[in-house]
Amino acid sequence: MLKLLIIEDDVAAAASLKHGLEESGYAVELAHDGESGLQQARDGDHDLWVIDVMLPKRDGLALLKMLRDEGRRAPALILSALGKVDDRVNGLRAGGDDYVVKPYAFVELLARIEALLRRARSLSSPETVLQLADLKMDLLGRAVTRAGQEIDLQPREFDLLEYLMRHAGQVVTRTMLLENVWEYFFDPQTNVVDVHISRLRQKIDKSFSPPLLHTVRGTGYILRMEP
Amino acid sequence: MSGIWLAVSLLVLAGAAYWLARRRQQNLALLRNRLVAVTQSVRQTGDNIAHDLRTPLTRLRADVEAALRQEDGKVHRAALERVLDEIQGMQNIINALLALGQAEAGGMRVKKKTVDLTGLLMEMIELYAPSAEERQLTLKGRIDPNLTIEADRQLLARILSNLLDNELKYVPAGGLIMLSAAARGDKLEILVEDNGPGIPEDMRDKIFERFARLDPSRTVSSGAGLGLSLVRAFARVLQGDARVIESSLGGAAFIVTLSTSAADVSRPAP
Ligand SMILES: Nc1ncnc2c1ncn2[C@@H]1O[C@H](COP(=O)(O)OP(=O)(O)OP(=O)(O)O)[C@@H](O)[C@H]1O
Ligand SMILES: [Mg+2]
Repeated sequence: MLKLLIIEDDVAAAASLKHGLEESGYAVELAHDGESGLQQARDGDHDLWVIDVMLPKRDGLALLKMLRDEGRRAPALILSALGKVDDRVNGLRAGGDDYVVKPYAFVELLARIEALLRRARSLSSPETVLQLADLKMDLLGRAVTRAGQEIDLQPREFDLLEYLMRHAGQVVTRTMLLENVWEYFFDPQTNVVDVHISRLRQKIDKSFSPPLLHTVRGTGYILRMEP
Repeated sequence: MSGIWLAVSLLVLAGAAYWLARRRQQNLALLRNRLVAVTQSVRQTGDNIAHDLRTPLTRLRADVEAALRQEDGKVHRAALERVLDEIQGMQNIINALLALGQAEAGGMRVKKKTVDLTGLLMEMIELYAPSAEERQLTLKGRIDPNLTIEADRQLLARILSNLLDNELKYVPAGGLIMLSAAARGDKLEILVEDNGPGIPEDMRDKIFERFARLDPSRTVSSGAGLGLSLVRAFARVLQGDARVIESSLGGAAFIVTLSTSAADVSRPAP
């Protein structure tokens, strides 16, 4: 079982986060201030840290920077208070791997945790071909086929599919797609991403079966064989 | 919230007033006028925020109470889903107000970099074109090649995204949206225009104020009236400005003017 450490001083928020993550199959440890968080991160063998920026005794970014300076490499997801534009940059600079603004949706946090854990596992093998069922992506030749038939994708559709393929079997949110495929760190009000997804779906799923690209209501999308 | 920034400026002004009072009497009148203006603006913003958060809160409360009067799990679930929508709406308002407060108080750090503006505009068209098409709108670009600017890509994109969101919301099906950009001396001009209903002349300035909307009714799906205030505040952070005129296409033409070298700018223009 993968082990997570959550360093968050809001006891109620931390408890419900712990509960949700345990339901999703993780072992979760809690720390409620920067000092004990630092100690637990040093002592424990965690697969990922979730770190709140504003913590009593030692702030989250300083804590993370110390851990990184000591050579500890667990992926870190930063939680920040609402609305500071520079926070994302500062968080990543301090050694964070991803960043979620409070108040966050639990599904958003979960999706990002899973993406980080996946990334940590697959970092060593840079793939050139991605495959799911009979859908194949040749990253070097930038060619896509399904059941042997060539599928013509626009450049952005290709990037979108590549991201989904790299996270196959895992929910990705609209925000994650905007950040990773378009590199926009804000959410437009219009359902722009949904429309791009439905176009991609037309191309890769319409005349084939089974469908691979599924909508997860209220959350985002998942690419996988089972419905 | 943004009220905090105004409150801070109020304090600063008060401090300055005290200091100056001991040195020069005649400056006091001037400062008092500014204080009055800031106070009014604090009060007005406060009123608007209260109003804007009270509307969804009222709906929330009614919804939850109605659901609690029943035992049906399905009804509860539906109510909770609406509650979540309302919360998201309130979160958006608070986020926008925080960004506005930061931008207007000069607290927004700009990551200056050479941005390929032509490329960015093409990207925005590419991002929005499918949604436009789905609403039976035509989105066209007329963008000069090789436009670059020293600015923050995210901020520029947020300006454009707010304007394009509006186009998709307010231009009726069958309409035309045109995005164009050109250099004018040491300035760049970005135009987002349409053949929709347009903005009446007497509202063209007002519409950039917080919470200003042509249709004052507010529902879950309608906006809060903060998009254009963000557009203007962000444009000013980049040492530019935003305004609206009548488009030659017949609808509204939103014009964002930016200086090509917004490089060293980290605070809004006065
Ligand atoms: N292209 C347009 N054509 C006609 N009216 C427009 C257009 N763009 C904006 N408006 C009017 O200006 C008002 C203010 O726009 P603004 O973007 O500030 O707020 P909003 O869209 O109502 O809400 P928000 O952007 O905060 O979700 C809108 O409510 C609408 O009445
Ligand atoms: Mg708007």
